[in-house]
Amino acid sequence: MSLLHRIEHPRDALAWEGDMPTLGRYTAGIAGEKFFRAIQEHGQFLGTVCPICEIVYVPPRLYCEQCFEHLDEWIEISPIGWVHTFTLVHLDLDGNPLPEPLPLAFIQLDGADGGLVHFLDEIDPEQIFVGMPVEAVFKDPAERKGSILDIAYFRPV
Amino acid sequence: MKEYVYDSVYLRSKDFEEGNVLFETWDPNARYAWDAGVAIGRYLQGLKAGQLIGRHCPECDRVLIPPRMFCETCFRPTDRWVELEDTGAIITFSRCYVTWDMIRITDPQIPAVIEIDGASPGMGIMHMLSEVDPDEVQIGMRVQAVWKPAAERIGAITDIAYFKPL
Repeated sequence: MSLLHRIEHPRDALAWEGDMPTLGRYTAGIAGEKFFRAIQEHGQFLGTVCPICEIVYVPPRLYCEQCFEHLDEWIEISPIGWVHTFTLVHLDLDGNPLPEPLPLAFIQLDGADGGLVHFLDEIDPEQIFVGMPVEAVFKDPAERKGSILDIAYFRPV
Repeated sequence: MKEYVYDSVYLRSKDFEEGNVLFETWDPNARYAWDAGVAIGRYLQGLKAGQLIGRHCPECDRVLIPPRMFCETCFRPTDRWVELEDTGAIITFSRCYVTWDMIRITDPQIPAVIEIDGASPGMGIMHMLSEVDPDEVQIGMRVQAVWKPAAERIGAITDIAYFKPL
């Protein structure tokens, strides 16, 4: 082999193969834990309020991103909101075509300054529009695991 | 703004196993392949064939092992492959009573740097010594490679099982 040597088959290239074990656990954090437990146990959304900036954080934060104030005022947030933006997903995570396009939306929750990205269902994708009022449909309490998927989807009100 | 000190929350494995805390697991597939390059590629192929191979620097007239495509002293490209002996002399060595994964051992492992015959002074490779009384190892001692059987060689430095005194 020299500098002019041309590799004709990938197997001719000598390479060391390895595998780095990098299993990670990502916790929801103090505020996230409380948020997901409220969904799991009570089927309700919680947010935190910054009294200085008058911002209602959903998902809740433990401190204000604007003024860094510690946030300890928790309020219940309505499960109703509106479609802030949406898209139709045609491929799954591996790039394979989905049997039907999946509507995915950012839902701005009423009374909050934030919202959630989630699926829309019980609607013809053609009918979705920005500003459409929607509500959360929770899974059966027994099926909930303290995950964002405890919300089955959002549907038009 | 008032100062607020957050309570520390210490999590134990038990908290994850018993579901006391919500979490996601993430296992990125961190497989990699490190390209050996031209010089080390040829070197590893040589090892598989039971042959130590170096590279010659035309400017310094040195023979380098492990081989490289340029000389680290004068930065000239090296110009030819040199087949070397599998014998040499110990430049330095150590006696290790702890393995790489921190296990205590009674019979020491003896890693050594071996100056390979046919390469320039100081040019050597690091390997293990065996078939030798640890107390008798000394700098300058003549050693020879003990190769694994050809069928077991994979093109790795471990294709040499160890070095033993001549």
